[in-house]
Amino acid sequence: MKIEHFLEKNEIREVTIFKQLVLNGGRLSYTDMLDYLSVARASLDKDLESIFFRIQSLEDQVQINYDGQYISLTMSDEFSLPQIHQLYLNQSIKVNLVRFLFKHQEFSITQLTQKLMISDSSLFRKIKELNSYLKEFGIKIRNGQLHGEELHIRYFYFQFYSYIEDKESLMTSHSDKKITQMVQAMESSLQVAIELENKQRLNVWMLISKNRITSKEKKYVHLRELMQPYLKDPLYKKIRIMVLRYFSRYSIEVDEEEAMLHFAFLLAFPILSEHDFHEYTLERDRRAPIATMDAYIVETIIIQYKFRRLPYMLERDMQYHLSHIHTKLYFFQGDMEIYDYEGMLAKEKQFTGRDLVSFAETLIGISTNKFGIKEVENNSLLKIGLLKYISLLAIVTLKMTTILQVGIDLKMEAIYTETLNQLLILNMRHINGIHVEACQPGKVYDLILTNEQHTNKGHYGNARVYVLSEIMSSFDMKNIQTIVKELTA
Amino acid sequence: MKVIIIGASFAGVAAALEVRKKYANAEIILLEKQDTLGYIPNGLHLYWENKIADLNSAYFITEEQLSKQNIRFYLEAAVEKIHTIHKTVDYLYHGQEATITYDKLIIATGSSQLSQKISGSDGENVLKYKRRHEAEDSLAKVEASQSVAIIGAGQVGVEAADLLSQQQKQVTLIENMDYVLFKYFDKEIIQPLQQKMLEQGIDLRLNQTVSAIEAEADQQATIRFGNETVKSDVVILGVNVRPDLHFLDEHIRLHMDLTIAVDRYMRTSVKDVFAVGDCIQLAYGEEDETVYIPLVNNAVRTGIVAATNLTQPKMVFKGSLRTIGTYIFGYYIASTGMTEAESVFTDQKVKTYRQEVRLTSLPNSDTVTIKWVYDASSYALLGAQMISTSNILEKINTLALAIQTKQTLEDLHQKDYFFHPSFSQMISATNFVSWPEVRDDGNEN
Repeated sequence: MKIEHFLEKNEIREVTIFKQLVLNGGRLSYTDMLDYLSVARASLDKDLESIFFRIQSLEDQVQINYDGQYISLTMSDEFSLPQIHQLYLNQSIKVNLVRFLFKHQEFSITQLTQKLMISDSSLFRKIKELNSYLKEFGIKIRNGQLHGEELHIRYFYFQFYSYIEDKESLMTSHSDKKITQMVQAMESSLQVAIELENKQRLNVWMLISKNRITSKEKKYVHLRELMQPYLKDPLYKKIRIMVLRYFSRYSIEVDEEEAMLHFAFLLAFPILSEHDFHEYTLERDRRAPIATMDAYIVETIIIQYKFRRLPYMLERDMQYHLSHIHTKLYFFQGDMEIYDYEGMLAKEKQFTGRDLVSFAETLIGISTNKFGIKEVENNSLLKIGLLKYISLLAIVTLKMTTILQVGIDLKMEAIYTETLNQLLILNMRHINGIHVEACQPGKVYDLILTNEQHTNKGHYGNARVYVLSEIMSSFDMKNIQTIVKELTA
Repeated sequence: MKVIIIGASFAGVAAALEVRKKYANAEIILLEKQDTLGYIPNGLHLYWENKIADLNSAYFITEEQLSKQNIRFYLEAAVEKIHTIHKTVDYLYHGQEATITYDKLIIATGSSQLSQKISGSDGENVLKYKRRHEAEDSLAKVEASQSVAIIGAGQVGVEAADLLSQQQKQVTLIENMDYVLFKYFDKEIIQPLQQKMLEQGIDLRLNQTVSAIEAEADQQATIRFGNETVKSDVVILGVNVRPDLHFLDEHIRLHMDLTIAVDRYMRTSVKDVFAVGDCIQLAYGEEDETVYIPLVNNAVRTGIVAATNLTQPKMVFKGSLRTIGTYIFGYYIASTGMTEAESVFTDQKVKTYRQEVRLTSLPNSDTVTIKWVYDASSYALLGAQMISTSNILEKINTLALAIQTKQTLEDLHQKDYFFHPSFSQMISATNFVSWPEVRDDGNEN
């Protein structure tokens, strides 16, 4: 699901106008904008009018001007495009519908048509549209209620309140002492330290859990199946005891599955620190599906890149990230594409190269296949899984790349060497995997650049020596690049 | 002033008596769903223990005593709906619809053992006996059975396990948590009792959540939990109690757990409507923390507080410490206030201390094991647990008072006490001291 799925066509166009202006330095001609949107003049005029109206109240933070020829955008330093998104989402009918559903658990058609001030038929249309997007989460709005597995419902709400709804407003309107207490209890009973940012994530989850706790007829069929290999998991057992004890203090008959929900969430999102997660991996059953998958993928990566040995901490780090990806794939369905997927992919490709992307595709193929996930078109969870694999591979390859130490040792008057050193360093900045500096006495280098051949062959130790023909010449630069490639291969 | 009280168990009766004391002219009417009032919940245990000759003796108050106080009561009056705007109560009286008006309304409906999660828990073979008519039914069924499965190892469940195993029944006790009586005791302190249960032949199934009870008429029931099952003639439901509040209107604010939200004066969100006993949460521990503690002691005390505040707020409820005491499997056990395990739910950092204390100065003196739970920085006492083969139950009240009046461990050093060699050691058991040789500190911190 994408953020824009919550918006209407004209709203998407309006947001696009903002985005185009940002991409074009804040100014674009009216005709260029027409071309880009490929709409009639009347539409664009209407869109602009609507924009003026919408941002009226934010006059001191964002302004759009149209002088008859150019459309231009000005924003205050602390205002940004995501806030424009938020502005539109806040007023979106679909967002309001989900909000209402969360708050009241169920609705009648009259209740909602009055609240949203729309007709019956358009309400039905909105619900139908929403349902087509909710499908990937495995849930559906029917008879004024959200239907589906409890795990999927809570996960959807979590995505919704993390990325679509303004988190601040959720926290201020719903938060109370019970939530902080629950989060704190989680920390104490699991004996972990949760960092601030992760705690906020956990807060949102707990808020949703609290809201859902009394809803009737919750479904857990799928979750119970998935949990079978984890019933003896040490972390699950601790969570279970804590959840049962917590609810024993209230007049609530809690489902055993409540603890299972927390277990899945805690491992699928970065809540535990790497350290605490590592402690858990020492205890967990290595033959359970997620642990097996983590190990399998790590092996696959090591073999692919022919790493003989990964540094200890890097391997731990990989396990940590992989486990989040795999837990999410194992338990959840659907995802919210907060970043423009194609754009991200293009950026990643630029940065990491084609090979990496296709290898990541292989990895996601392996994990979905082994978990038995059916390939459906436009599965956001898989798309985001792929992006995460790519990022992880990028981290690993970057960290595993050996940095060549290059020393410059020019033999000329000091007044020249100083400037020429700087110029050379600047010129070589774009070459990946090297560190260039003026030769430091006593330091070991992989490559020495000099302008005079040294009489003593052993002067630079084992370092390869390249004698520059003409400093800054393209000929030298090309040769140096070839040498670097040879040395890093 | 016309005061309607819904429910004539401990909370309702206590409220009625207190209203009468304060307002000689008030018209007081108790509406009770059952055909009897003043029955002691789980009076059946007293009968099984041979403390009473029959269930007719399991009453804490009689109809005559109430009539003498000019308190009226309608039995078999089931409340259907309250209308807080018009100040009326609709109820079924012997099956007939009726409506009554009120000036002040006190909701004291109490609670019952029920489970929405365990399928089949409302079946024929599934017994609960908090109320009189349930008790009679259960008594006959238990007598006719050989095997009993009890769901829930709380106070009711463990007591029943003890009493029934003494009657040579084959008892299976199934509990969600990893040890029995977890609400009141920390795991290590209750171990001797749990050990004794096993020795007495109780089939104890811990860490198990019952999902279903399946039973055909005149056949054994099958109890399902996890991937296991147990068969037994009858099943006793000893799960947590919950209030039934279907008759409320939408103006009365509820908590997340669907109990009625009240302030410290027992006032609900609607003027002139009060709620007491097992349908509310109570102040517990620090500041504004409230939890659900359905105990008779709280029912009585909140009943009195509500009655006191009927016309204007005069007395706040001082909160509950969840104090309990009982004799099970040869052990006297008692607990008050916070347990160590529960301290994860508070901001407070707690420390604990465990000691085994001789009860008298005589050579054959028995001992009591006491666990003190206290605030790590202020040393204020927060909770205490005791277990002994001698009757030490009354001592828990001393410590409950100490917690309620915010005494520190240092204060408890100094607590006054009587000395008599037959009844005390050189220092009283509830005076917190730590002397090697005199007290055995079986402590880890």
